[in-house]
Amino acid sequence: MTVLAIAGARARRIVRDRFALFFLLVLPVLVIVIVGAIASNPGTFRVGIVDLDHSALSASLAHDLADAHALDVRTYPSVAAGKTALRRSEIATLVQIPAGTDAALRAGRPVDIVAYGEHTNSDQQAAVAAVTSVIGAHGARVQAAAFSAAASGRSFATQLALADRLVSGASTVTVSSQSVDSASKVLPKGFDYSAPTMLVLFVFINSLAGGAAMIWTRQLGMYDRMVAAPVTPAQIVFGETAVYLMIALTQSLLIVLVGATVFGVHWGDPLAATTLVFTWALVGTGAGMLAGTLFKTPEQSTSIAPTIGILLGMLGGCMWPLEIVGPTMRTFGHLAPHAWAVDAWTSLLARNGTLADIRGDLLVLAGFAAALLVVATRRLRHVLAP
Amino acid sequence: MSPVFVIAAKDLKQRFRDRSAIVLGFVAPLGIAALMSFAFRGADRFHITVGVVDRDHGPLATAFASFMQNPALHGVVTVRTVPDEATARRLVRNGSLSSAIVVPPGFSAAASGGAATGAAATGLAVLTSVNSELGGEVSRALAGSFVNQVDADRLSVATAIAAGAPASRAAELSAAAAKLRVPENVVNEPIGSRPLKAVNYYAPAMAIFFVLFAIGFTARSFFSEERDGMIDRIAAAPVRPTTVLFGKALSVFAYGVASLATVLLFTSWFFGAHWGNPIGATLLCVAMVVAVVVLTALVIALARTERQAEGIAAIIVFGLALLGGNFVTISAAPAIMRRLALLTPNGWALRGFVDLTTGARGAGVIVQPLVAIAAFTLVVGVIAALLARRWAVR
Repeated sequence: MTVLAIAGARARRIVRDRFALFFLLVLPVLVIVIVGAIASNPGTFRVGIVDLDHSALSASLAHDLADAHALDVRTYPSVAAGKTALRRSEIATLVQIPAGTDAALRAGRPVDIVAYGEHTNSDQQAAVAAVTSVIGAHGARVQAAAFSAAASGRSFATQLALADRLVSGASTVTVSSQSVDSASKVLPKGFDYSAPTMLVLFVFINSLAGGAAMIWTRQLGMYDRMVAAPVTPAQIVFGETAVYLMIALTQSLLIVLVGATVFGVHWGDPLAATTLVFTWALVGTGAGMLAGTLFKTPEQSTSIAPTIGILLGMLGGCMWPLEIVGPTMRTFGHLAPHAWAVDAWTSLLARNGTLADIRGDLLVLAGFAAALLVVATRRLRHVLAP
Repeated sequence: MSPVFVIAAKDLKQRFRDRSAIVLGFVAPLGIAALMSFAFRGADRFHITVGVVDRDHGPLATAFASFMQNPALHGVVTVRTVPDEATARRLVRNGSLSSAIVVPPGFSAAASGGAATGAAATGLAVLTSVNSELGGEVSRALAGSFVNQVDADRLSVATAIAAGAPASRAAELSAAAAKLRVPENVVNEPIGSRPLKAVNYYAPAMAIFFVLFAIGFTARSFFSEERDGMIDRIAAAPVRPTTVLFGKALSVFAYGVASLATVLLFTSWFFGAHWGNPIGATLLCVAMVVAVVVLTALVIALARTERQAEGIAAIIVFGLALLGGNFVTISAAPAIMRRLALLTPNGWALRGFVDLTTGARGAGVIVQPLVAIAAFTLVVGVIAALLARRWAVR
């Protein structure tokens, strides 16, 4: 009963604090929206187009580029605007369709289409390779139309329409593709990526920053007053643990609910997801309580804690998938509990994993939680010792 | 010494004694920059290893192998010859290859012979992995580029025959088409820019984010001093209230400039970050820190208690950081987010740093962000002054 009273008193303070609620719910949701919007970009190259010809053929080329599923196309009014976007990495290459393209092609003259991109920038070179293929396919139809017009004496326009119809026929050499696996090593794109990673990041940061409350309680002498009352140090430790766990679970539940209802996130196997959320909340609880006993001032807790949280989040794959970094960094990243939590979410969301599939990750997380809680409770008992 | 400097020095000493300012202003941004640099060393550029399985052994398959070894592709693709399709599948599955391209048996004969007969050609097969989507797309694009010329010739003959040319002329037409070249050539031209590396974006992004925390520190310290009667005692001394404000503003300014400058210099010396024109980079730092000073004044004018100051400051800090693109590479964001970023001083400062580091030229590169940050600072300053006057009257 005493434990619940201690936990209840702390919980009431948090509920009354509008700013705490901002960090509990509003901030994580905002970050989920922003990161989700950026991470929703499918595996495509962002390509800019400047059409200086404004003709039927230049429009059909721009249309082909926009239709290519490997390309995410945006148009620019001028070459200068497109080059600025390319320099700022807003696009990976800029395609410039020169003035006179239509007239030259109809007259059977070749046209040079410029794809801007640094020769030493492999991102841009890959994008140039992707647009080259689409432009080549367009050029094949133009070649066929010009050839047929010359052979048959009919107009270029009718022959281009004919070539367009024939191009999807069986007479072309196809490039087929086949995926050899289905077991993704990274989280799905969009909110399925941002929601679980931000849950991991924010539950941890919020728990760490919550250490400030413990420091205020200590500074106000409330622990001393509690110990003076018929309350044992063990009851205070349990009360503090209960409130940290409750905050972490509440924040997790809110993110899960908002993720599922607003952003359509599929959290995977319910039993496995619940176990993972609970285990991660325990890790946060241990980290938050340890922060509360380690830092001397609330300022230290509210400033250093987010820093540690962000660093561990980066290291553990909350900001980018560890699959895209080198093997050394990937191994180093697993020193952070975040990496194991993200691995487990990846198994649940990307590979439809079950509790059995994430038991290894859960065991490691449970180890982190146990270690943090043991150290934190020992330090707190030391603080409470008369 | 002027009372302004005395107050600023006192504030700075107090802040550094707590060590949180050192962590936020120096350790955190440098730590994150270091982490970024190590994490993306060699991994922030696109490169794939593609396997080629030649089951055709014909002239077109040989031509395809030469096409894939084109020196222009070396920066993007490493080609590895794989003996059979099963091995290629295994290597793609285990990540040794990003993808593999299989040239099927009979490819050369069918592709070149079919032009005359109109028979279906045997196509290239690209084996991809869900873990290398972009690698699969590039492989498909490369295979597509190669077959484009073959297709163009076949399509030319097929179109001519469909338009009425007698089928008996197919061989003649095919020979004529084989002499053609696809009329749309792609010419790759550089624009003379430097790549935007992760460390070049996130070093200033994180440095600015952590400097924004000074808003909360300073506003809190103002209210704690007010609570302790410190402000009243200063007012009793022959020091004007504006002197106290200037002293506090100077401490924030000195702290912010020192933090940003340290991060830029450190990343330049140790992580190869390039900040372009040093005067431009310095002016951006100064403008951003002045905006932080004015935002601090706004929080002090808005809040009534220490806790309120802390909460309002936190909302402003995280709101600006989220909108301005300090947490995500804004260039990869949708257009609406890129526009929203330009409502914030940090968004403009980051744009300025991106332009400097990627080699943009001209005075406009710096003038535009500086004017935008100055406009933001002016508007916030006027609001803070109006609120402060109301507060003083009350």
